[in-house]
Amino acid sequence: MAHSDEEEDYMTMTFEDPKPKYETSLQRAARERREAEDRSRQKSKAELKEEEERARHAALSTALPTDNKGFKMMAKFGFKQGDALGKSENARKEPIHISLKEDRSGIGLESEKKRKFRERMEQAEREAKRSKTQELDYREAQRQRLKEKKLEADLKKAQRAAERLHGEKEKTEDPDKIPLKNINVLWRDLARERLEELREKKEKHQLLNHRLNKRSPVFNDEDDEEDADDKLALGREDAVPLVDDDLEEEDPELEEFRSLPLEERVQKLVAFLRDEYHYCYWCGHKYDDANMDGCPGTTEEEHD
Amino acid sequence: MMAKRADYDESDGSGPRSKRVKTELNGSDNNNNSNGGTPMESNPYLAHWNEEPRHTDRLASFKRHATTSKQAREAEDGPLNPFTGRPLSSRYMSILKQRRDLPVHQQRDEFLSLYQQSQILVFVGETGSGKTTQIPQFVLFDDLPHLNGKMVACTQPRRVAAMSVAQRVAEEMDVNLGEEVGYSIRFEDKTSPNTILKYMTDGMLLREAMNDHDLTRYSTIILDEAHERTLATDILMGLLKEVVLRRKDLKLIIMSATLDATKFQKYFHDAPLLAVPGRTHPVEIFYTPAPERDYVEAALRTVLQIHATEPEGDILLFLTGEEEIEDACRKINLEAQELQREGGAGPMVVYPLYGTLPPAQQQKIFTPAPPPATPGGRPGRKCIVSTNIAETSLTIDGIVYVVDPGFSKQKVYNPRIRVESLLVSPISKASAQQRAGRAGRTRPGKCFRLYTEAAFKKELIEQTYPEVLRSNLASTVLELKKLGIDDLVHFDLMDPPAPETLMRALEELNYLACLDDEGDLTPLGKLASEFPLDPALAVMLITSPEFYCSNEILSLTALLSVPQIFVRPANNRKRADEMKDLFAHPQGDHLTMLNVYHAFKSDAAQENPKQWCHDHFVSYRALQQADNVRLQLKRIMERNEIELMSTPFENKKYYENIRRALVAGFFMQVAKRDGSGKSYVTVKDDQNVLLHPSTVLAEDSEWVVYNEFVLTTKNYIRTVTSVKPEWLLDIAPNYYDLDTFKNTDVRKSLQRTLTKMEREKAANKSRPRY
Repeated sequence: MAHSDEEEDYMTMTFEDPKPKYETSLQRAARERREAEDRSRQKSKAELKEEEERARHAALSTALPTDNKGFKMMAKFGFKQGDALGKSENARKEPIHISLKEDRSGIGLESEKKRKFRERMEQAEREAKRSKTQELDYREAQRQRLKEKKLEADLKKAQRAAERLHGEKEKTEDPDKIPLKNINVLWRDLARERLEELREKKEKHQLLNHRLNKRSPVFNDEDDEEDADDKLALGREDAVPLVDDDLEEEDPELEEFRSLPLEERVQKLVAFLRDEYHYCYWCGHKYDDANMDGCPGTTEEEHD
Repeated sequence: MMAKRADYDESDGSGPRSKRVKTELNGSDNNNNSNGGTPMESNPYLAHWNEEPRHTDRLASFKRHATTSKQAREAEDGPLNPFTGRPLSSRYMSILKQRRDLPVHQQRDEFLSLYQQSQILVFVGETGSGKTTQIPQFVLFDDLPHLNGKMVACTQPRRVAAMSVAQRVAEEMDVNLGEEVGYSIRFEDKTSPNTILKYMTDGMLLREAMNDHDLTRYSTIILDEAHERTLATDILMGLLKEVVLRRKDLKLIIMSATLDATKFQKYFHDAPLLAVPGRTHPVEIFYTPAPERDYVEAALRTVLQIHATEPEGDILLFLTGEEEIEDACRKINLEAQELQREGGAGPMVVYPLYGTLPPAQQQKIFTPAPPPATPGGRPGRKCIVSTNIAETSLTIDGIVYVVDPGFSKQKVYNPRIRVESLLVSPISKASAQQRAGRAGRTRPGKCFRLYTEAAFKKELIEQTYPEVLRSNLASTVLELKKLGIDDLVHFDLMDPPAPETLMRALEELNYLACLDDEGDLTPLGKLASEFPLDPALAVMLITSPEFYCSNEILSLTALLSVPQIFVRPANNRKRADEMKDLFAHPQGDHLTMLNVYHAFKSDAAQENPKQWCHDHFVSYRALQQADNVRLQLKRIMERNEIELMSTPFENKKYYENIRRALVAGFFMQVAKRDGSGKSYVTVKDDQNVLLHPSTVLAEDSEWVVYNEFVLTTKNYIRTVTSVKPEWLLDIAPNYYDLDTFKNTDVRKSLQRTLTKMEREKAANKSRPRY
């Protein structure tokens, strides 16, 4: 049972009250009175529900004991604790898990919520850790924040420059038509953000439009005459184009890039711009050849 | 009479036919007698006997397990029915033409050669391939069971399917249903000694195996719809895997509608597999971009959008249960009318479909879609809102759009809290594919899945869990023991359940005294296995004469074996509840049900029982069914010499005796009130439960027996009757061994009762001295 998700559940665990070893008659009377009061008190709905869940959870996570009469009958045929039944290889040893559905949430909503929550928690944790380990005073922290802000701005700018230069060189008209995977990971973020924005807009639009549709479905009569633009305009395009699949897809390459420290990311872009396009980010100028005459150097300090 | 019969035996020649002749002759003999002895030869009903030599010749030239499709075709072409010798009707000829268009007919020779070569065969045919109706007939022409006095069996998971397929095949073979082709389902046997092809529920075949371990009556057994993996089919597979080793002459065909058939192949020692394509069209699948917040609302929205924007074609929406479906139908209806009025959309008719719907209403789904509202206007559409019964069991042509929210109600069982309940759960990938396939029956279709593609891949399990993993196995274990299988630990099931499930079943049977401590069948267990009932019900019925109320318990058992008898329509709840109050017995629901049954059987009600049921908000169908079940059970009781008796109604112990008899079967389903509240605790598993809102029980019952533990968003116990703790200790002392109780409140209370009982006993003993 080394599964990480089967850790002990402290939320529902029950702890026995340590009972005093000796109890005077007065103490006992008091305790019994207390217990009787507890019993006679009407429990609230919430309490009942909680109690019900706790009892269910406790019972569901406890295997039947080996003093069960059925166990003894099975042992006669060589059954031992931990065995499975039958002759097939990977027969189940545990009963199927029972999960109660209490609302009408669609498939995937619960795990989506959990994922978002986990991400937020992780983010918060990371931040907490960082500030803790560094133990900076306020000024230092402030400085750090400013530095980060500047780095972020630099990263964006350098990415934009790279995208522009790349576009000029490859003569692509609309960078949003390219599948995300084919965009260089250094500035893929830009395209991704644009797509996300677009999708959000479209969803809002669809929602609005759906309401309109519901009220005045007259529009729906001339299906055939609508061209693609009309459909887009009316938000009636139901086959969501491939960009969405793109967004859904996991992108380990991008994840990896994102996980690099900001500074390193900026450095990578600056180096890339120099190597590929003879462009110095710090000068803001595209040189004619690889010598890049007139550029003081590769770092920001050298440009001061 | 005797002389005549001898004559016919001789003239008929020898062989297995003689058995048939005798039986038919008996019938006509009686006729002759009553009619004053009309000569046999002129009896028009027996005209076909003269043809007998000819048609037997035809099949007699067939060499068993060496025939070809060509031979069979010639025999099928007539002009005489090869199995009865009667001339074939014109209707038969037109059906025959249709039949030969079915995909399976293309591969008849291939099928025959595999069938002849191998003892076990796995056959895969998608819905619409014609496998259920045609394969058994292919077998008949090659296996020739009538020549050996054997039969071909074809099992179905559902009663309705067994009946309707048998009806259809009887028409195809131009015979009367119940003669050469018959069916057998629980509480109904429509076969005769002439029967050579028998459709039956898988459960019935299992029951037959209990008295005939090797199933010697059959020469070929076909397990149809094996992919559904019902409990009985799974057990039968385990059983037949052993039987085929003992009976080399028995052939076995496993039929499945899905391609995971390799699993069956592997299980049956790499049996050969034959696959026949179905007639399906491509189905385009759409996913939602993000998870849905409310799947019902999303479903309604999607249905209406399809109606407003998509071209002609019917819609099938899958939801989970009766209430949800009825509610959705209402809403779709309203919105669709508005769309039609204001948006110029075509008319749309909405039909609900679920298991408990009366058959007449179920039939409505086959009504064609409505015509356009005005000539030349937008075409009409029908929309069926169904549970997963439309997933495999029913085929509805004309469906082009499927809306799949991805949920269904599934039975679950957990041995740890002993709850068997229907829960709304995500479906499997296989189910989702099956649902999508429903859109491609008539032409290319579309399936709208109300979840993301990522969720489909990650969150749905591959295959639905087979029923054997989701059921209480007490009655199965009893059946297996009766089948002579002692070592249940190593019984070779395709998917063995969790060991605790078997453990619990054995324990329950031991407490019911059906198994002894060694796990061997007791005489009570043997008797209980004779009844097609849950062991608790069977034990209650068998022991009821000890409580002088076996008549009443027999009725009650029948009532508990049929669907809900109370009807509570959404638009008339108040009136329905008032009617129920007329029958209410303050001490419990079981007694209330009995009151309904007695009222139903009264002369006043029987004058017009249908009307009476309608007026009193009870289900005529359920009560009629209960009547039938009662009759069948009564026969089994009489056969086993269980006495039928009643406590006189005037006796004040009339109801008490019934309640005591209830305890004798249901002592493991008892709950005690927790403190002073409304909440109860189940006695051994310590589960907090509430009385189901439908109960009539007055509130002052400290101890109750219940028929069902239902898990919804709350834990409920349904159909409850008040009992006394003294009875528990008295009737089931093994189970109510105080040391085995963890819950202190329950134990203390039982302890107090026990002390009181002992005191009374002592007092009674000492009383005579005074």
